[in-house]
Amino acid sequence: MNNDYNLNAKLDLIRQSEGKGFVADENSLLLAFQRIEEDKSGLAIKVLSIAGGFLATISFIGFLLVAGLYDSKMGLIIFGIVFIAGAVWINKRFELQILDTSVIAVYIIGFCLLAFGVSHFKVDKNILPVLFVIISAVSINITQRYILSFISILIINGSILLLIVINDAFNLVHLYNVVITLCLTYCFLKEAKLISTSTKLSRLYDPLRSALLFSLLAGLAFVGKRGIVKMDTEFIWLSSLIIIPAVLYLVFLVINILHVDDPKRKMIIYGFSILLLMPTASGPAIPGSLLMILLCFYVNYKTGFVISIIAFIYFVGQYYYDLNFSLLTKSLLLFSTGVLFIIVFLFTSKKLRADEKY
Amino acid sequence: MDREEIHLISRYSNWSEKGVEQELAEHIYASPHAWRRFLYFLFISMGVGFTMAGIVFFFAYNWADLPKFVKIGMVEAGIICLTGFILLSKFNQSIKDIVLTGTSVLVGVLFVVFGQIYQTGANTYDFFLVWTVFISLWVIVSNYAPLWLIYLTLINTTVVFYSQQVAHYWSSLFIFTILFFINVLCLVISIYVSKTKADFKVPGWFTKAIALAAVTFSTIGISIGIHNKFETSFAILQFAVIVFYAAGLKYGLTIKSRFYLSIIPFSVIIILTSLLIEISEDQAMWLFVSAFVIVSVTLVIKFLTGIQQKWDYEQRL
Repeated sequence: MNNDYNLNAKLDLIRQSEGKGFVADENSLLLAFQRIEEDKSGLAIKVLSIAGGFLATISFIGFLLVAGLYDSKMGLIIFGIVFIAGAVWINKRFELQILDTSVIAVYIIGFCLLAFGVSHFKVDKNILPVLFVIISAVSINITQRYILSFISILIINGSILLLIVINDAFNLVHLYNVVITLCLTYCFLKEAKLISTSTKLSRLYDPLRSALLFSLLAGLAFVGKRGIVKMDTEFIWLSSLIIIPAVLYLVFLVINILHVDDPKRKMIIYGFSILLLMPTASGPAIPGSLLMILLCFYVNYKTGFVISIIAFIYFVGQYYYDLNFSLLTKSLLLFSTGVLFIIVFLFTSKKLRADEKY
Repeated sequence: MDREEIHLISRYSNWSEKGVEQELAEHIYASPHAWRRFLYFLFISMGVGFTMAGIVFFFAYNWADLPKFVKIGMVEAGIICLTGFILLSKFNQSIKDIVLTGTSVLVGVLFVVFGQIYQTGANTYDFFLVWTVFISLWVIVSNYAPLWLIYLTLINTTVVFYSQQVAHYWSSLFIFTILFFINVLCLVISIYVSKTKADFKVPGWFTKAIALAAVTFSTIGISIGIHNKFETSFAILQFAVIVFYAAGLKYGLTIKSRFYLSIIPFSVIIILTSLLIEISEDQAMWLFVSAFVIVSVTLVIKFLTGIQQKWDYEQRL
């Protein structure tokens, strides 16, 4: 069986560079390799599980509404907690792909029941989101399987956004964006550190990466589409304070990868990058989605790359649509950006294809 | 080693952070070559994209002081310059394809300007129709997948506008039936062509995008049909869906693609769900539907996992 995965060859290869101190738990590894073989889940299966889970949740809520069962408050809370706990337990106990859809459905239904139940009590409106954050954090701590962790991280960040919305503290969205941007950049660029720190973090890495991407998208949508929330437009650049330097940091990394050593050329590249990024400070969603594109390309995360490109096109369009200039000014802005890129292309095209043909 | 294997080995060994970092950088992350290629296409796409957007906004501004001759002349000069660039310059094919895509957008601008100046009173669908017709040759000659996608979007848009502005008597079911047929036809042609003609390479994302569009239209169409009064196009759509879904499943099994084997069953699940809701809307039914979705999706996933194992096994033999 070992031959199927060439496990020994791979471990030998690592041993060569790591030296004699390298030890691997070969039995567990073999089991894990067999397990991913049986449990291989591509994008199709993940999307199917999540879509199925949501569809089932919607019809279950339909059932609650038609049956009028949403009136018994204690019943709802108890069932909500039982459902969430049940989902986490099944997930932890069996770790089977075919159970994922049921687990998600039961898990989300649990949260809905809990929300219905708590809303019957006249409690502070902030309690529910805080409760959601705590429950999700606890369940991530117990089980780190992909889909449940993914949904839990989304629930945590969604609850934080909800807290901002129900308290009308819309300027805190910038704080949210800054924190998520930093987490996302760290998560993408420090993959090796995160996966070798602890088993839990290693298992959590993939769901964390995709969930952070979606969480940043949500935060960017708040600043990217005017009128979604009542936000002070004069402070809209606050999110850019961290996002733009993060993009520049990636430019720095790419310069190193491409071995651009000439200081003059480096200055020109930074100059151009800053020139292009400065005008986007008032539309943080644009550099934000650009950062996502660069990060996803850097670590070769294909699904994220496609999502980021679609987001980028949408945010650029939305930004110019919302802009309070005449169409003529907008046209000049777009046109000059385009010409700038064509100039960059003409200057770099020879260098970029110096050693290869496309 | 792929990413998953690196993660697993790191989890069950004392592999140093530095070692993992190096392995990821060398075998998983984008190479200098990939970065050069990416930047090359990023710059030209952004350049052409923003410039074309600028031109579209400029003519949308409809500058009253600008004489008609200058307006139309500018767009036509642009089209001639760009086609000249494509025919005469020495840039490689992909760059020319991107520029041609931009030029096709200019053709749309030309018709808008024409309509603006002469107040032709044409419907929106007329505009999309002529735009579609007049870029057809370029689309076929360049055979560039993103341009094909724009072209198909234009065709679909034309149909939708035609139904809204001219054919008011078309039922929504009939519109979705037509859209389904258009996209299925394109899908079948693109699959057929890429199989039979060696120099026609249709990228996977392109066929998947049309397949997804077709399945979305059929799902919505049938769901509407279930809830509405019976009409002839419903029977036709039902028949077509049965035939094409069966063909799609068979095709998915033949080319070993989990994509077709997941979107078609999921569409069937949604259709059955709306049928169940149509039969009864009482509480028991909603609960049953919830259970039905969970069980059926789980069965589909079980099947997909099983078939993947079989394919992997066959590949190793």
